[in-house]
Amino acid sequence: MATTLRRLAFYSSGLLVMCIAGLPVIGLTLGLWPPVELSWHDVSRFVEYNGLTTSILNSLFLSLAAPVIAWYVAFLVYSQYRFSPAWQSLEKRLSPLLSLPHLAVALGLVYLFSSGGLLWNSIAVPEWLSLPRKSLLTMMLALTIKEVPFFLLIFGALGRQLPIKSWLLQGRALGHSEAASWWLLVFPALLKQSRLALLAAMAYCLSVLDISLLVGPNIPQLYAVVLYHWQTGFSAIEQSQAFIANLVLLLLLGVLVAAIYLHEWLAVKRIHYHGVMAHRLKMASLGRLFSYWLVSFSVLSIAILVTFFLWSVGWNSQSHISSADLSFTLWQAEWFFMQTPLFNSLVIGLISSGVGVGVSLLALELQQQKQTYLPDYLWLMAILLPQLSMVYGWQIAHTAFSGGYGMSWVVLAHVPFTFAYSYLVLRGPFQSIDRRYELLAASFGFSYWQRWWLIRFRLLSPALLSAFAIAFSVSMAQYISTLMIGAGRVVTITTEAVAIASGNEQGITAVYILVQAVLPFMVFLIASILAHRLRGSVNVTYH
Amino acid sequence: MLHITDCQISADDWLIALPNIAIASGELCVITGPSGIGKSTLLHWLLGDVVQHVNISGTISLNNVQLNSLKIEQRRIGLLMQDVLLFPHLNVLDNICFALPADGGMWGTKNPTKHQRKAQALAMLESIDMAHLAHHTSEQLSGGERSRVGLIRALANEPQALLMDEPFSALDPKTSAQVSEWAFHHLRSKGVPSIMVSHDINAIPAHAQHLDLAQYYRRI
Amino acid sequence: MMWQIFSLLGLTSRSLPVLPRHVLIVLMFYVGFASAVNAQQATASQVQWQQILKQAQGQTVYFYAWGGAKPVNDYLRWASKEIASRYKIRLQHVKVADITEALSRLKAEDGGKSAIDLLWVNGENFSYLKEQNLLLGELNSRIPNTSLLANEQLPLDSDFGVPIDGFEVPWGVGQFNLIARSEVFNEATVTPSTLLAAAKQYPGRISYPRPPEFHGTTFLKQLLVALTHSDKRLYAPVTDAAQTELLPVLWAYLEQLHPLTWQQGKAFPSSNTEQLGLFQQNQLVMAVSFNPNQLFKEQSANKIPQSAQRLVFSLGAITNSHNLAIPKGAQSPEAAMVVIDFLLSEFAQTQKLTGEWGDPAVIKALVDEAATLPAQQELHSSWQQVIEALWQQRYGA
Repeated sequence: MATTLRRLAFYSSGLLVMCIAGLPVIGLTLGLWPPVELSWHDVSRFVEYNGLTTSILNSLFLSLAAPVIAWYVAFLVYSQYRFSPAWQSLEKRLSPLLSLPHLAVALGLVYLFSSGGLLWNSIAVPEWLSLPRKSLLTMMLALTIKEVPFFLLIFGALGRQLPIKSWLLQGRALGHSEAASWWLLVFPALLKQSRLALLAAMAYCLSVLDISLLVGPNIPQLYAVVLYHWQTGFSAIEQSQAFIANLVLLLLLGVLVAAIYLHEWLAVKRIHYHGVMAHRLKMASLGRLFSYWLVSFSVLSIAILVTFFLWSVGWNSQSHISSADLSFTLWQAEWFFMQTPLFNSLVIGLISSGVGVGVSLLALELQQQKQTYLPDYLWLMAILLPQLSMVYGWQIAHTAFSGGYGMSWVVLAHVPFTFAYSYLVLRGPFQSIDRRYELLAASFGFSYWQRWWLIRFRLLSPALLSAFAIAFSVSMAQYISTLMIGAGRVVTITTEAVAIASGNEQGITAVYILVQAVLPFMVFLIASILAHRLRGSVNVTYH
Repeated sequence: MLHITDCQISADDWLIALPNIAIASGELCVITGPSGIGKSTLLHWLLGDVVQHVNISGTISLNNVQLNSLKIEQRRIGLLMQDVLLFPHLNVLDNICFALPADGGMWGTKNPTKHQRKAQALAMLESIDMAHLAHHTSEQLSGGERSRVGLIRALANEPQALLMDEPFSALDPKTSAQVSEWAFHHLRSKGVPSIMVSHDINAIPAHAQHLDLAQYYRRI
Repeated sequence: MMWQIFSLLGLTSRSLPVLPRHVLIVLMFYVGFASAVNAQQATASQVQWQQILKQAQGQTVYFYAWGGAKPVNDYLRWASKEIASRYKIRLQHVKVADITEALSRLKAEDGGKSAIDLLWVNGENFSYLKEQNLLLGELNSRIPNTSLLANEQLPLDSDFGVPIDGFEVPWGVGQFNLIARSEVFNEATVTPSTLLAAAKQYPGRISYPRPPEFHGTTFLKQLLVALTHSDKRLYAPVTDAAQTELLPVLWAYLEQLHPLTWQQGKAFPSSNTEQLGLFQQNQLVMAVSFNPNQLFKEQSANKIPQSAQRLVFSLGAITNSHNLAIPKGAQSPEAAMVVIDFLLSEFAQTQKLTGEWGDPAVIKALVDEAATLPAQQELHSSWQQVIEALWQQRYGA
């Protein structure tokens, strides 16, 4: 009887996990197909589209380079700060930039550092030093800067479960410098454990639209923009082009997945070579540069926030600092209209990220019990698949079921995303937990679920907090899914902010972007403070 | 009294047939042997953990109760490892509280309150002059301190037997000698039958049984 | 009713004074007769309208409209308040970043029950919806205030060459104009050659939104009209011959212009709003707009220099309307009609024109010929796709 019950529980929770993780695939299967039959003519038209190859190569390069560079920067920063007293303040200072939308970072960067921008106007800097308004470089910089704190957050969650201190100790005992030990011993482990985060960042860079339009090169346009134009043109020709383009997008994702494994293999091989040959690592000394990161990062965050604040109080290029008549009228006028959207965002964010974190824990636990882990990318479908087609498919299903436009449907539409992101944060920490802790607890007489709750859950709680905060910010950022499923009945601060930002009006855009960032900021901040309180297995040491 | 009978450790091409072992209350049995021969695995098997790489068969009985079919949490056998593995999310006092039996055990009050449990744990720390470390965390302790807290934590659970996997080998020789002497004394006075795996033949106390696995090893 | 008769006879209001007197008398007689018949019809439709007003009470109208312009959003907030107190209807502005998001929903709903009651649409999006039969028709005969529309003065019958046929109702008018710093152009109108001269004088500081963004495409159309001296074939469906004869002059012009534009033509602003931002930051000396009053609004908000000026192309500003449509599956079609009726009222149109938004009115009472820019007919819609496709082919990479 007990076995039957347990089996029933196992399979029903398995079913639940599959449903959530499978929603993206269902959406795509419903939403991908073109309205008309495809002919070879469509394919050749697609191939002949002027600049397509460059678009694809640019996008591919961007989505490979930006996340990988961000990863390495984050690794170097992490190695500099992990055991310094500044680590705690670093984790807290990540919050503002983590919570600002990508678009805001791009806007801020361009405004501050391009020619005619704020800084470049106030101090005479040569033209060639300024950041181009639209280029691959600008786009890459914006994405890289924004992804670094994301990886640091992931490393923070991972590092608590890895005996980094003792690895470093052993490395130094064997005669390597501390910096070299980071590369030789910590790097391979972190790279492997944060594979999912890297994949998510790459998929994001490949498909991001708003930043591509704003700062991306547009002769030719980035691939995401080309795809968007086809997808939102409704002629039969455009729809068939969009279909082919979506298939190519899936192919590109395959390339990215392969590239991640290839990079990992090459990098680890190279590191092992150095380790085996006991070569001195020249790049190891590079790390010290990154000890200045916290300062420069904080300055940049503050500069962006100040810029947005100035815009929001009516400051523009016509005003002079002395004569600027700054006023809070925009804030006062909009505040009344922002309360309901803010409240909706908060409720949807809390519920969907709670469910997302719960289901990903369940998914990990089920795999742990079965002792088989499914391939990573299966769990990240919501992040990987072309979003517009996927959500369109959901919309078709939602309409067919005559589903209402209530908040619960919107929550359901957010859960695949919050699930995918919390899974990618939790997977590493969950698997890295030293099982001997649970063995010890068992020897003290604790049953399986008691151990799970008293040991595994507690050790994971800092990572759970990070996962929750990321999931919350992901839910907060949902525009298309909220709009398409909520149908305007469920208005969130993001559906407002994205629509308003599409008009490029500085003042009002700044107000909404700042307000949009407030909730995730608070969640990130609370999570980082709580994580330090709860400790988890911080600074694991082995002797 | 801990009995291990008809015990065999086997892999693809070798086999160890152990003699029957009987360890009385307060008695210590030291198992030695070259590395890779399955010393630690034997401990994990005794504990009730899943055994990998080798097969182990045999009967374990503790105070005339056969343990083989029981889960780890039902066996009441303690474990002390080289990495003491104090729970990192708990301080020293809470680590000990964690191990205290839920019903209060033999020496404490029946169904104690949280306050009483803490007092009991503190008393145990006081008995080894470590009460001042009660609110420290694992990383703030020295190696010797950590080993002592680990043993106290293991004993707080009132195990019927204790398994030790090279518990003091990470300590420097002087501390190791001090702590192990203190530990054996403590175990004897509590009357717990114990098994210790060690690679150091010279560190075997005079009163202990000694089992060298290499003696029973044969290739097949 | 009257304008329909005139246009039946092939007359326009401008040609009226030259008619022989006796024709006029006959005509007036006919009109008088017609209005007597109309009176009966009018009472019938008035009854119908009263019913619609009654049904509309308590309904909510979900109005899908682009949410990127604060003045528009504010105007709709104002309208919501008015509509709530007058008709007991809740008007809910669903802000979208791109109206295609609404189209995608209508497509998914496939003509069934819709979450959209009203949408702000024009151009190819309207053409798609009409062709897919997703819109409620006969709006003109159902909504009383459509009789106020200034059909004689403004091109309100077709939307980018597609006949409106009562499937949408004009709400406002766009007229393509340039906003430039005062020193850039010496005259009040722009020709391709003055534009080129300006580009030479201000290298790197002139640009236009990247086609297929429709401001950018319109900019190209304006150039094409000017360069071909408004060739008649531009207003008829594209033929291969017309293409090969007319377009090369545009490409030849762009070959000269592009090296002088912003980033040497290796990048273009993504939208008119982005270009306006660059103009505000003095990166560009020129911006484009479909709102003839944008200049004054930007100036009064002190976002651009007070000396900036508005210019149109010398053959006139391409003029078209932006419109309101009701999906077939709308849940509150009655209330949506009432909302349209209100938005066409003189009260609401005045507020739209004189308020923060400054969008030109579409009703007779408010069309100010003096304030209206000289209009240029919209090209046949087939030219748009050709221009966009060939531009992409030549300059898109």
